Amino acid sequence: MKTISRMTMVAGTKAAAAPGSVRARAPLATPNRIGNTARSAVSQMAGAPAGRVVVSRRRDLSLNAVYQDGQKLDRPLRVAIVGGGPAGACAAEECAKAGIETFMVERKMDNCKPCGGAIPLCMIDEFDLPSEIIDRKVNRMKMISPSNVEVDIGSTLKPNEYIGMTRREILDDYLRQRAEENGAKVINGLFMGMEQKEGEKGPWTMKINSYEGEEKKKVDLEVDVVVGADGANSRVAKIIDAGDFDYAIAYQERIRIDDDRMKFYENLAEMYVGDDVSPDFYGWVFPKYDHVGVGTGTVINKPAIKEYQDAIRDRAGDKISGGQIIKIEAHPIPEHPRPKRIEGRVALVGDAAGYVTKCSGEGIYFAAKSGRMCGEAIAARSKQGTQMIGERDLRTYLSKWDRKYWPTYKVLDILQKVFYRSNAAREAFVEMCSSEYVQRMTFDSYLYKTVVPGNPISDLKLLWGTVGSILRSNALRVSQGPTVTFGRK
Amino acid sequence: MAAPASTSMTRTTRRTTLFRAARAPRVTVRRSPVSRASENGSTAVVEAKKERSPSPLEKGGTLDGEKALGKDPAGATKAKLNKKLGTASEQTFEDERWVNQTWDLSQFSGSDGNTDWDAVIDAEMERRRILEENPSPSSLKEKVLFDTAIIPWWAWVRRFHLPEAEKINGRAAMVGYFMALVIDGLTGTGIWDQQNSFLGKVALNVAVIGIMFIGSTSDLGKLKGLWEEATFYDEQWNKSWEGVERPEDDE
Ligand SMILES: Cc1cc2nc3c(=O)[nH]c(=O)nc-3n(C[C@H](O)[C@H](O)[C@H](O)COP(=O)(O)OP(=O)(O)OC[C@H]3O[C@@H](n4cnc5c(N)ncnc54)[C@H](O)[C@@H]3O)c2cc1C
Repeated sequence: MKTISRMTMVAGTKAAAAPGSVRARAPLATPNRIGNTARSAVSQMAGAPAGRVVVSRRRDLSLNAVYQDGQKLDRPLRVAIVGGGPAGACAAEECAKAGIETFMVERKMDNCKPCGGAIPLCMIDEFDLPSEIIDRKVNRMKMISPSNVEVDIGSTLKPNEYIGMTRREILDDYLRQRAEENGAKVINGLFMGMEQKEGEKGPWTMKINSYEGEEKKKVDLEVDVVVGADGANSRVAKIIDAGDFDYAIAYQERIRIDDDRMKFYENLAEMYVGDDVSPDFYGWVFPKYDHVGVGTGTVINKPAIKEYQDAIRDRAGDKISGGQIIKIEAHPIPEHPRPKRIEGRVALVGDAAGYVTKCSGEGIYFAAKSGRMCGEAIAARSKQGTQMIGERDLRTYLSKWDRKYWPTYKVLDILQKVFYRSNAAREAFVEMCSSEYVQRMTFDSYLYKTVVPGNPISDLKLLWGTVGSILRSNALRVSQGPTVTFGRK
Repeated sequence: MAAPASTSMTRTTRRTTLFRAARAPRVTVRRSPVSRASENGSTAVVEAKKERSPSPLEKGGTLDGEKALGKDPAGATKAKLNKKLGTASEQTFEDERWVNQTWDLSQFSGSDGNTDWDAVIDAEMERRRILEENPSPSSLKEKVLFDTAIIPWWAWVRRFHLPEAEKINGRAAMVGYFMALVIDGLTGTGIWDQQNSFLGKVALNVAVIGIMFIGSTSDLGKLKGLWEEATFYDEQWNKSWEGVERPEDDE
């Protein structure tokens, strides 16, 4: 099976590689073409003073040739990564390591992405993060029900287990620098659009408003493969017509509170559930570097987000009162993957693809990991950048990703549907979380992204207990009219 | 029996009640970004735009009309934000039997000297109802200690005749369970393969049973809705594989 497809690929390659036909084709004159087409972007960039990009290659005609998937290259494969968040930086690092000519475009180098910044323990290990990046080690996690029943779900954590709290500007910068050290060319600029001038097997010309050097200028950059890591509002996704996802709006206020109160949150994170703080998510108080992040999110009632924010502030009450709001931020969080995550030689990773879990709203680790897996796939399939790759090659990343993480996403989807459904369900959820067994399972799956086998007796007990909790809290609820069915509209 | 009157509320105004009655399916509060910004000394980030083309807040899964019923922020929050007229519209829960953050069971003894669990259940129902409309701050000093599990099971059965218990009787349970297995089989997503993944197993079981409790599954239409709800996410995930041959894992 595999060999056959490889053979046909080679055969196709020979036929299409008649270079004359390629070179003869004049570049399409598009009215909105930016910049000087006679010179390549790469050489333009080389002229930028103190530019980080140090490419001074003449526009070689062979660069422009149309290569079929799998065809041998007489120069390294060129990959552009749009976005320098965790997804982009990790994809760039992997590509650059393999000797691929890697460009990473980021519009704002000190970007402080609106984010809670919580990362699981396994990310620190897997991505070799130095300890300075972790501002706080949270090992107490409180879950607070609508009727203010609190459970401390961190009680089963071992001494060396914690949730890392990071500042995104620090984390992202570190990951980007590492990509650069490995040979990626980091371009400070805004990605504006891209086009394929010589058909779908031809190179992509990316249009970038470069901020490198003193003055802004428009440059073109020609590459073979594009990785869209430009977040939830991805422009790359729009260009390849990847389709939409439902999204939550997450709102966060950074609040500086006095020392005593800060002390309380030293290694404690709080999660509030209830229809008051969010109809379908949770509100949080996360300790940050020198302040707390207080926020909430919702998909189904986004216009009311500020009221939910007011409610979370009220629910946290005295614990944050008197604080000063130093920053307000909001950002969409994707709810599910886009219908299309790969198109031709363009792949999406991280938030651009839609990889945030339900229930916990976790996306940093999954962004970094998907970026890395995509980079690995590009490196492996292009034989370390020596041959052209195509959609099927990129899809090896997608296939592995879906196989590896789909169950995690699905479980969290189910949990969200069952337990964030009404206040009664949330009361039950909090009750359930007081079980040490549940805590252990939850933390193992969050911190290590692995699922350990349970013990059948405890499983049964848990099931029984959960049913009991749900029954009791539903019985206690005075009905409030129909609740929302999540899912299809 | 708990006379509702014994649960007293301090009510500075009746506004909340009014708001509740006038509950709109969708949030209508709209504050000017200006007042907001000056309040916080910072910029406002989100603000719903005027109608016509829907704002980003109104797209991407935002529900309205029927579907959003009962999903508004709490009455107290809305009331507080809706008017800047000074009079706080706070209802606080207060009950002399609620002592040290739990129900003082000694005050619930019935004529026979035993605890009147019915009364406890009623009192807790009323407490939760009030909290739903008037969420109260979680407090450092006063931790809620009451645990519904202390009420014996027979008290629940007697109080509610447990209609939910009838719902999970054989048929419904079987349908739901079977459904989950079929979904799994159809989508080939393999949660069930993960037999040793305990979380997956529990979640699946909990989902099936939980959904049946929470939404009433008495009629077929709802069952269909349930099916769609259970498979919706799977469809969203599988979209990128429609009509595409999956590469081998070892490629
Ligand atoms: C309020 C909030 C709280 C959150 N809390 C957590 C949490 O506690 N833990 C967690 O794990 N996840 C959290 N998330 C989710 C997490 O932030 C995202 O999943 C994660 O940032 C995704 O990373 P990414 O690299 O895919 O995208 P992003 O981090 O969004 O990075 C995209 C990058 O691309 C750049 N870019 C975009 N467009 C262009 C362009 N046209 N040209 C050039 N550059 C461009 C942007 O500047 C940005 O740096 C939270 C999200 C929100 C909104």
